[in-house]
Amino acid sequence: MDNLIIEATRYTPAIYFDFKTDELYIKGESYAENVMEFYAPVISWIEEYMEYKHDRYIVLNLELFYFNSSSSKILLDIFDLFETAAVEGKNITINWIYDQDDDTAYEFGEEFKEDFNLVFFRLIQKEKKSG
Amino acid sequence: MVGNLYDFKKDLDQKGVFFCFSGPLSQDLLVEIGSTLKQKMHLEEASNSTVIRVFSMVVEKAQNIIHYSAEKLPPDKSVAREAEMSLGIIAVGYDSGHYFVLCGNMMKNSQVEHLRKKLTGLAGMTKDELKKHYRKQRRKDPEQGSKGAGLGLIEMAKKASRPIEFDFKKVDGNYSFFSSRTFI
Repeated sequence: MDNLIIEATRYTPAIYFDFKTDELYIKGESYAENVMEFYAPVISWIEEYMEYKHDRYIVLNLELFYFNSSSSKILLDIFDLFETAAVEGKNITINWIYDQDDDTAYEFGEEFKEDFNLVFFRLIQKEKKSG
Repeated sequence: MVGNLYDFKKDLDQKGVFFCFSGPLSQDLLVEIGSTLKQKMHLEEASNSTVIRVFSMVVEKAQNIIHYSAEKLPPDKSVAREAEMSLGIIAVGYDSGHYFVLCGNMMKNSQVEHLRKKLTGLAGMTKDELKKHYRKQRRKDPEQGSKGAGLGLIEMAKKASRPIEFDFKKVDGNYSFFSSRTFI
């Protein structure tokens, strides 16, 4: 299976899904006019990826500076795919990376965390940039 | 008209409005507006969390205009602009220690009651109820005619420091003008 690499734009995040290392990154802004359209290939990739029945340890690193309400719904759909895979026995960690002074991102992370049981959902505070 | 522009500016200043746009709105324009506003608020030393909240209100409101405004310019295939353009008003201001975002657009009279009911419902909820409502709605499929997740209004209500103010002005037999103001 190929890696999925999508470059970031001013309102869509960078996607870097590595099939071999099982490290997945979503990083940037997420507020496209049609969020569904942007995430359709991302969701398809994850669905196909989860079909591989190996004993995998998967890490999803999420670092979103801002995401709109439509993106929030799609993130939930993506996390659901991971939760289903975790139910099937895969070992999955989601790292929710947020800025120290971004309480909105922290609250979103907390709320998402409450929705999942088998996925290991970690909230990771980024150090404040100096200067 | 040229003689009145200063009065218009003074009127905005008096109301605390420091940014105002009226006309066709696009995703690219929204990105520029957003980045200019962020820059301005950072210069005013607003906290990062406030800047993100104001920015998110502007995005949700602008995208509501883009998706739902009843005042539209049809697509023009000859100039490679294939999407229709939506018209509306967005304004951002500062009053008694709080930023606020104003927005307005035309809508069909037939949809007014549904929206009024939704906004009235949200205005009556506590922060905790809004949080629960948001999570419940996020689990549901969007309602018919929704072009996003149908979560924008709830998200704004959740992030606002007071209930969303709203108003509907009947324009004619078909259309009303919908305006709303949200304080951060």
